Amino acid sequence: MKLDFEFIWTAFVALLGAVPTSLAITVVSVSCGFLIGTAVALSRHFRIPVISQVGTAYVTFIRGTPMITHLLLIYFGLPILVDAAAESLGIGFRSVSIPMIGFAYIAFSITAGAYMSEVVRSGLLAVNRGQLEAAYSVGMTTPQALRRIVLPQALAASLPNLSNMLIGMLHGSTLAFTVSVVEINAKAQIVATTNWKFFEAYLAAALLFWGLTFIIERLTALAEKRFRLNDRGGVSS
Amino acid sequence: MIKLSQIRKSFGRNEVLKGIDLTVKRGEVVAILGPSGSGKTTLLRCINYLEKPSAGGITIGDFRFDYKNHGKKDVHALRQKSAMVFQQYNLFRHKTALENVMEGLVIVQKVPKEEARERGIELLEKVGLGGRLNAYPNELSGGQQQRVGIARALALNPEVILFDEPTSALDPELVGEVLAVIRHIAQEGITMIIVTHEMAFAQDVANHVVFMDGGVIVEEGDPKQLFRSPKEERTKQFLKRITPESAYSI
Repeated sequence: MKLDFEFIWTAFVALLGAVPTSLAITVVSVSCGFLIGTAVALSRHFRIPVISQVGTAYVTFIRGTPMITHLLLIYFGLPILVDAAAESLGIGFRSVSIPMIGFAYIAFSITAGAYMSEVVRSGLLAVNRGQLEAAYSVGMTTPQALRRIVLPQALAASLPNLSNMLIGMLHGSTLAFTVSVVEINAKAQIVATTNWKFFEAYLAAALLFWGLTFIIERLTALAEKRFRLNDRGGVSS
Repeated sequence: MIKLSQIRKSFGRNEVLKGIDLTVKRGEVVAILGPSGSGKTTLLRCINYLEKPSAGGITIGDFRFDYKNHGKKDVHALRQKSAMVFQQYNLFRHKTALENVMEGLVIVQKVPKEEARERGIELLEKVGLGGRLNAYPNELSGGQQQRVGIARALALNPEVILFDEPTSALDPELVGEVLAVIRHIAQEGITMIIVTHEMAFAQDVANHVVFMDGGVIVEEGDPKQLFRSPKEERTKQFLKRITPESAYSI
C-alpha cells in the first residue's frame, strides 16, 4: 500500500469546511455546560436543599451514561416532548423544524454540564473558606462575594481541568455524525467515499484535530500565565 | 456602645458559649483572654455573624439585632458595623494590597474609585506599607499581610474592629510590627475587641480585659487589677501558666 500524500492534503482542505461546525458544537456545549455546571456546583457546595439533590442525581446519571446515549435520547425523545407541548399549547411549531445540529447542542450541553459541575466544584474546594469569610467581613453579600472573590479564584484553579473539558468536547463532537451533522470526522468519511482512501482522509482528520487541540493547549497556557502569575490564584478584574 | 446579651452557641451537642453578656464602650479597647476552647474566638465571630449564635442579641449604637429573629438585610447591616482582622490574614489572594483595601469601599460602600484609591494609599502608608501598594499577598511577609488586613478593616470605618488572634500565625520576629500598628490605631480611639495570647500586649493596650473559660466570662475588669490581683481561682491558674516574658516590644 502506498500513502497518497496528495490526497491527504486534498482531504485536509476539504475538512477545513467542517471546522466551524465542530467548533460551534464544542463552544456551545462547553459554554452552556459551564453555566449548568456552575449552577449545580454552587448548589452542591452551599448545600441548597432540593436543588443540590436534583443536581447530584443529574451528575450521577449523566456521568453514568455514555455521551452518545444522551444524543440518541435527546434525538428520539425531545421531538415527542416538543410536539406534545406544542399541541397542548396550540402553537404551530413542530419538532421537524429543529435543525439536526440543535439536538447535538442540547445533548452535549447536558453532557458537558455534568462533568463541568465537578470541574467547577473542584475549583470551589480549592478556594480557602477564609476568602468567603473575609468577603463577608468587609460587608459583601453572598452574590457579591461569589462574583468578586470566590469564583475568580475557583475559575483560575480549575483552568487545567477546563482545558481538558474543552478538548474532550471537541473530540466528542464527532458523535454528532450519528444524527447526520457533518463535522470534521463525518466530512472525512464523506470525502473518502469518492475514492475509498479512508486512511488518508482520517489521517487528515487526525492532523486537523491535533492542530485544533494544540491551539486550545496554547490558549490555556496563556490564560494560566495571565491568571496565575505570581500564584495569585485568581482572575483579576 | 456595643452590648452583647445572653449569647449562646452550640456546635452539635457541645455548648461553647453559655449566655455571654458583654458591654464595650465607644473607643474602648477590650482584650479577651482565655485558654483554647474557651469560646473567645467564637464569641468574636458571632459579632460579625461569621458564626450564628443559637440565641441572644447585640446592640451596636442604635442598631439592634436579634440572633434568633432577623432577616437577610439585618445580617448585611450587622456585618457592616464591624470589620474583622483574621488570624490567617485572609487577604483576597487575587488582588493587590491596595485592591484589598479598596474592595470593601468600592463594592460595599459604593465610594468612587479615585476616592477609595486615595484612602487606600493613605491607610497603607499608615501601616507602613506605602511602598508595597501593588504587591500581591503571596509577595508579602506574614507581618506585612496582617498589616494590610488591618488597613482593610480600618478602611471600612466600622463601629468596631475585631481582631482574632492577629499575631498567632506570625513568626516571632514579625509579631512586634503588627502589635505596634494595633497599638498605634488603639490610641486613635477606635473601638476594638482583641482576642489574643499576648499578655503583655493586652496589659499595655487594653482598657478592659475579659477572661473567658468554658464558654462563660469568668472575670473581667481593669487590666492592672485583673493581671495583678485576679479574684477568681481559674484566672489565677491561667495567668500563672502564661510566661511573663512575651515577644511584645515596641
